[in-house]
Amino acid sequence: MFFHIVMERNMQLHPRHFGRNLRENIVSKLMKDVEGTCSGRHGFVVAITGIENIGKGLIRDGTGFVTFPVKYQCVVFRPFKGEILEAVVTMVNKMGFFAEAGPVQIFVSNHLIPDDMEFQSGDMPNYTTSDGSVKIQKDSEVRLKIIGTRVDATEIFCIGTIKDDFLGVINDPATA
Amino acid sequence: MSLVTDSPVNSSSSDDFAALLDSALDSASSDSSPVEEAKDDDDVEIESIKRHKVENMGSTEEPDGSTSQVSVTEVLEEESTKQNTCTHPGSFGDMCIICGQRLEQESGVTFGYIHKGLRLNNDEIVRLRSKDMKNLLRHKKLHLVLDLDHTLLNSTQLVHMTPEEEYLKSQTDSLQDVSNGSLFMLENMHMMTKLRPFVRTFLKEASEMYEMHIYTMGDRAYALAMANILDPKREYFGERVISRDDGTQKHQKGLDVVLGQESAVLILDDTENAWTKHKENLILMERYHFFRSSCHQFGFNCKSLSELKSDESETEGALATVLKVLKQIHNNFFDNTSDNLMGRDVRQVLKTLRQEILKDCKIVFSRVFPTKFQAENHQLWKMAEQLGATCSTELDPSVTHVVATDAGTEKSRWAAKEKKFLVHPRWIEATNYLWQKLPEENFSVSVVKNQ
Ligand SMILES: [Mg+2]
Ligand SMILES: [Zn+2]
Repeated sequence: MFFHIVMERNMQLHPRHFGRNLRENIVSKLMKDVEGTCSGRHGFVVAITGIENIGKGLIRDGTGFVTFPVKYQCVVFRPFKGEILEAVVTMVNKMGFFAEAGPVQIFVSNHLIPDDMEFQSGDMPNYTTSDGSVKIQKDSEVRLKIIGTRVDATEIFCIGTIKDDFLGVINDPATA
Repeated sequence: MSLVTDSPVNSSSSDDFAALLDSALDSASSDSSPVEEAKDDDDVEIESIKRHKVENMGSTEEPDGSTSQVSVTEVLEEESTKQNTCTHPGSFGDMCIICGQRLEQESGVTFGYIHKGLRLNNDEIVRLRSKDMKNLLRHKKLHLVLDLDHTLLNSTQLVHMTPEEEYLKSQTDSLQDVSNGSLFMLENMHMMTKLRPFVRTFLKEASEMYEMHIYTMGDRAYALAMANILDPKREYFGERVISRDDGTQKHQKGLDVVLGQESAVLILDDTENAWTKHKENLILMERYHFFRSSCHQFGFNCKSLSELKSDESETEGALATVLKVLKQIHNNFFDNTSDNLMGRDVRQVLKTLRQEILKDCKIVFSRVFPTKFQAENHQLWKMAEQLGATCSTELDPSVTHVVATDAGTEKSRWAAKEKKFLVHPRWIEATNYLWQKLPEENFSVSVVKNQ
């Protein structure tokens, strides 16, 4: 799920960045430091969308570095247990399939793929129903349900399932 | 002047958010029973939870709800039924692949080469292998595990190239379209790689009979770079590229990380010692040394193929030979319709086929082994037996071959007198590599003067 939230961070700046471009320097450093990172609480920081305010700088003893408290708006993405996600299949094998939704890596084990879908090996491995009407292969878009999540510093891992009503392929590249 | 901490400030807004997330999850569980009881109100309940969240977000905007939706009840139902029964057969990112529960203890075998963070327990591996076996047999295929260095190709560090090999640097093939090239410069790895002649045909034809894996003692980056050269269209190996980083034992290769039943796996490798637990699956390959550094590494002080501007034969080289063997084994495995397929063992097929090669030979060795060495334990003795020959220490009329390095020994002279074949030990080795009994006259033995 995406959220638009306000977060705050202390930015440490070298004195060489002071001057007319101070604000720009703070913002570009903030983007570099924060965008693309994850935290267990907020999930993945997709993008910084605005600066609420930059507080008064505090000079650090000994180093001359200055710390600015920055309040900023950003879009974060965090998957939840029970959430329905749409994701793109990245790899299919006999164990199940892997899919991605932005920074989120999802594994759907063959235990959680409907029983009427059989694994087919070959140079384009896939799971297919016996009548051939539904096929999951690399680049298929699937709707799945998250049953477990783990957020690391840079990655989010999820366990997913498609063994439920209204889950499964939503767009098959082979027929598109 | 005041000192400040390094850590980011936990502002009120981010605290709110974290608290919100926690409360959302909590409220989900506390709300679960009424929701379960009143199924018809599901949507209303979910909506209200959602709105509740949005309201709590205060200054923030409404989340993008178009692609995501929460259905809390189902999860909780599933969880309560599964938690008791789940055996946690494997994990992804330390979460059970079936119930999603966070697992504290790491167990099972890591399959990092398939995907980062993936582990499987033994029972699950067994289950997958037996499922795989059925699928495989339906497609009339077996597994083939391929070594890289000296088996499919030869690589050298650029710094180890001799002046006589310098000319190669101007003859490398483009990395843009690798599918027709055979000599590649991998500058970022400071390496040059030469593919073994016939390898393209070999891979194409073998892939029709075998599901193929790469298994190298090189590191992951090297394995992937080589896979890219050998299989640019990704038709042969898929994610089945295993490097030393993926093994479970140092300096050893093992089939434990291969998701195929051992009775259906063949291995091609030039290093027998890497496969101590799986010798019965192994077809030993004659080493392909193209570069000087490779010859040097194995103690040969002769000119290398690269220095001689020569190469192994395309049509009669090791890969062409072994492809014929692979076809034969595949045929023998599937053509015999007398018993059930599932019960067959490719190791037995390999053994039987190998034993045909020297089946009518009775061999006596003469001063080939160091004195005091237990003859039956010597590699050549074992090799001859695997090729179907009978080995003996006694001379008698049934002996067909005497193997020696010196024609002057007593047994060698006996062979000459009795019109038996007198051959060099290389005859056995070459027969083993080429899978056919080679003409004895090409392996004659001369008298060694200074004994
Ligand atoms: Mg090797
Ligand atoms: Zn479990």
